[in-house]
Amino acid sequence: MIDLTIQNAHDQIELIAFKIGEQEFCVDIMSVREIRGWAPATPLPQTPAYMRGVINLRGAVLPIMDLAVRLGLPVTEPSARSVIIVVKTAERMVGLLVDGVSDILTVTRDSIRATPDVACDRVRSFVRGILSIDGRMISEVSLDRVMPEMESMAA
Amino acid sequence: MDEMEAIKVTFFLECEELLADLENGLLTMRAGDADNETVNAVFRAVHSIKGGAGAFGFESLVRFAHVFETLMDKVRAGQIPEGAELAGALLRAADVLADLVSAARSGLAVDEERSSAIAAELEAITQGGGADAPKQDAVKDETSLFEVNVLPETASDLDDPDFSFTPMAISLDEPSPPPPAWRIEFSPLKTLYASANEPAILLRELERLGEATISLDSSRLPDLAQLDPDNAYLNWTIILKGDVDEQAIRDVFDFVDGDCLLKVEPFDASPSSSIDIAALIHSAQADESAQAPDAIESPTQPPQADIPAVAAVPIAPRPAPAPAPVPDAQAFAPQATIRVDPERIDKLIDLVGELVINQAMLAQRVAESGLAGSSSLAMGLDDLEQLTREIQESVMAIRAQPVKSVFQRMPRLVRETAAMTGKQVRLITDGESTEVDKTVIERIADPITHMIRNAIDHGLESPEDRIAAGKSPEGLVRLAALHRGGRIVIEVSDDGRGINRKRVQAIAIEKELISPDATMSDEEIDNLIFLPGFSTAAIVSDVSGRGVGMDVVRRSIQALGGRITIASRPGQGSTFTLSLPLTLAVLDGMVVDVEGQTFIVPLNHIVESLRPKAEEIHALGPVGKVLAVRGDQVPLVDIGQILGFRSHAPSPVDRVVLLIENEDGGRAALVADAIQGQRQVVIKSLEANYRQVDGIAAATILGDGRVALILDVDALVAMRRREPPVRPSFDPQQIAAE
Repeated sequence: MIDLTIQNAHDQIELIAFKIGEQEFCVDIMSVREIRGWAPATPLPQTPAYMRGVINLRGAVLPIMDLAVRLGLPVTEPSARSVIIVVKTAERMVGLLVDGVSDILTVTRDSIRATPDVACDRVRSFVRGILSIDGRMISEVSLDRVMPEMESMAA
Repeated sequence: MDEMEAIKVTFFLECEELLADLENGLLTMRAGDADNETVNAVFRAVHSIKGGAGAFGFESLVRFAHVFETLMDKVRAGQIPEGAELAGALLRAADVLADLVSAARSGLAVDEERSSAIAAELEAITQGGGADAPKQDAVKDETSLFEVNVLPETASDLDDPDFSFTPMAISLDEPSPPPPAWRIEFSPLKTLYASANEPAILLRELERLGEATISLDSSRLPDLAQLDPDNAYLNWTIILKGDVDEQAIRDVFDFVDGDCLLKVEPFDASPSSSIDIAALIHSAQADESAQAPDAIESPTQPPQADIPAVAAVPIAPRPAPAPAPVPDAQAFAPQATIRVDPERIDKLIDLVGELVINQAMLAQRVAESGLAGSSSLAMGLDDLEQLTREIQESVMAIRAQPVKSVFQRMPRLVRETAAMTGKQVRLITDGESTEVDKTVIERIADPITHMIRNAIDHGLESPEDRIAAGKSPEGLVRLAALHRGGRIVIEVSDDGRGINRKRVQAIAIEKELISPDATMSDEEIDNLIFLPGFSTAAIVSDVSGRGVGMDVVRRSIQALGGRITIASRPGQGSTFTLSLPLTLAVLDGMVVDVEGQTFIVPLNHIVESLRPKAEEIHALGPVGKVLAVRGDQVPLVDIGQILGFRSHAPSPVDRVVLLIENEDGGRAALVADAIQGQRQVVIKSLEANYRQVDGIAAATILGDGRVALILDVDALVAMRRREPPVRPSFDPQQIAAE
C-alpha cells in the first residue's frame, strides 16, 4: 500500500474529484488509468451488491464497482453523466462507477485533513481524509480499502 | 538487470537443458543401450556446467562437477566398465549436481553432507576403475535388474591379444581399418587460451588414447620484448600410435573446435625417424603459413584437403585415410531453435485473441447491417475468419510444449520416493513428446507428482510382499501421455495391489464420509479416495499422507477444466487417468441465453441438448425436478436460479435443456432460455482483476464486445445440492453488515 501521507507535506498532488449523489469525493490522479463512459456491465453471480459486474476493457475483464454502494450510499442509477473511473492499485484494475467527474484539483498534501470523529467506522475506513475548497467538502477515497475483497464470501 | 546478471540467467537456463540432457543420457546408459555419443553427451553436459559455474565462481558446484567430470572422462575412455551400478551412482550424482545448480541460483545452502558423500563415492569409483577396471563395490545395488554386459571400450583393449592389429572379416559398409598411427598437428589459436582451455590437458588426453610422441614447435615464439602475452605461439605435432579411430582423436578436441587449427592424418610409423623429422619441420612450416593472419582456414576441414600441403614430404605410401565416420552427433544435433521471452508469446496470444474477438464483432456488425451473404464483403469476411483461425492455431502451436519437461522431473522423484519407502520401482514413461499448451504444462506437474508418489507409496507393495504375491520384487509405475479427442490424457498406472475396497469403505465409514449401510458399486468405492480428508495410509507417511490427498489432486485438475478417473483391479494395480484440455487459452463452448444474459457452457461437458416435454419432467421433493431421459432420471438445474439471477425456476418446457456429464460421470440437465450456437471463445481470467466466482470458470468477450461468463459446470451441479442462493439485495444496511 502506497501511503502518500509519509511524503513531504508541501508536495503538490493532483486529485480527480467526482460526485456520488450530492457528495464529492476524490482519488489521486496517479492511480487513475482512464475515465470512460458508462456501458452496461455483465453481472456476476454470487457477488456483493457493490459489484456491478464486468466489462471488456480492450480485451481484459474489468470488474466494475458501484462506489456509492461500497461507501454505504444508495445504488447509483447510471445516467448519461455516469462514468467509470478505471483505477489501478497494486496489480489489480477496477472500474469505479460514479455520477460524474467534477474537477481536477492541485493541492498540497497538508491541506487534506483527518476525517472528523463524527463519521462512522465504515466512512472512516474508506475515506482517507477531507479536503475543503471554496466551501466544498471533498473526501479522499482510500483506494486500497475500497477494493473488492479477493476472497470468496463465506457461502 | 546488469549484463552479468543477464548472462547468469542464460547460464541457468542452459543448465536446465544440460541437466535434462545429462539425466536422459544417464537413463539411456542405465538401460544399457548407450553408445559413445551418449557418454560423450553426458560428459559434455557436466563439463559445460563446470565451465559456466567456474566463470561465476560457484565453487561448490565447480568442485562437484569436477569430480563428476573426472569420472565421466574415465568412463568415456572405457576405463570404467559401464553398467547399471555405475549408472545408478551417476544418476545420484546428477541429482546432486541439479541441487547444486539450484542452490547456486537461489543462493541457498545445499546439503553439503550429501554432496560430499556422493563426491566421495564418485572418487572411489574413479580410483577403483583403473586400466584393469576392477569391479567397483561402493555402489549399493539397487538397480541390478538392469545389469547388462557392456563390452569394454576400445582404448583399454590395446593389450588384449584378441584385439591385435590383424583385422578380421570386415563388412563392406564399415570404414576401412584405422591406420596404425596418426599424425596430429595441433595449433591453438588465441581464442583457445582466452576461453581458459589448457593444451596440456588435451595432450594428456591424447596420450591416453595410445602411445603418443609429442613434439613442440616453438619457432614462432618471438623475443620477450615482442611477446604479446595474450597471443598463441606454440604448435604441437603428435604422433599417436595405436588402434585409435579418427573420431576419437577429434573428440579430444571437441571443446576447442574452432579455437585451434587441427590436422589429423594417417601416419605410417615404419619409415626411419629422419623422415619423421623432415615431415615435422615441413609441416610446421606449412602450418606457419596457414596461420598467416589473412589465411582463412577452417580448422575442421577434412584431412584429405590438407594433404597437398605435405605432399612433398617423402612419406611411404600409406592407406587412404579412413573416411570420416558419420558422427552420431548428427542425430543429436540441436534443432535450429530461437529463444524467445515467454512474455512476448503470451502478448502475441493475447493480441490474436483480440483479433479473433474483433473479427467476430466485425462479422456480427456486417450481418446486422443486412448485407447479403453472397456479397464480396461477406466473402472477404469469411476469408478473414479462416485466416484468423489459422493465425490463432499457429500462435498456439508456438506455445505448445511437449510434456517431456514435466515427465523428466519424475525419474528423480521416483528414485527418491522409492528410497524413502524402501521399495523397488521402475518408471516407464510414454508419449513424452505429446504437446500441450504452456498454460496446461505449468499446472500438471503438481498433480502428476502427487499421483506418482501416491502410486509408489500406496499402490506398490514392498519387495517382500510382491515376491509373496508371485510378482517381480520391482514395482512398475507407468506414466503416459497421449492426445485423445482434442484433449490430453495422462495416465499414471502401477502394478501394485490395487485399491483395497473393503478398507476404503471402512475408513470412509469411520470418518463419517459415507453412511455405514450404504451399498456402493466398486467404482463408487474407488472414487471415495477423492473425498476431502481421506487418507488410507495406516501410518501418515512422509511421502504422500499429508492429510491432503487425492481430493487436492482432483480439485486442481477440475480447476483446469479436466477430469480424473480411476480404474483398479485387486492385486493387479490401479490406473489414474487425467483428461485435460489442450489449452487454457481457448475453449469450444455452447452460447446460451439466460435471463437476458449470455453464458458459455464448455462443449466437452455437453452430452446432448434437447427440448423437454411436460410429461418428461417430474417433481422430486419440495422444489427439485428431474428429467426423464431414455429411462434415466436426471436432476434439472436452472442456470438462472442457481446463479441467483432469478428466484424461481420457470418451467423447463419450451426452454432448452443441456444434458451434461460431470467429472464423476454424474449427469445433470442445465436449463437455459435459448441456445445461440456453438463457438470457440477466448478464455479471459476473472481472477486477474477480481477473484474466482462460484459457478463461473472464466469469462470471455463476445462478438458485440460484451463480456460473457463461462460456466463451471461441475461447480453448478455441486451448488444444486446446497440451498438455492439469493442474490443479495441492494440494501445499504445489509452491505454495512458485511
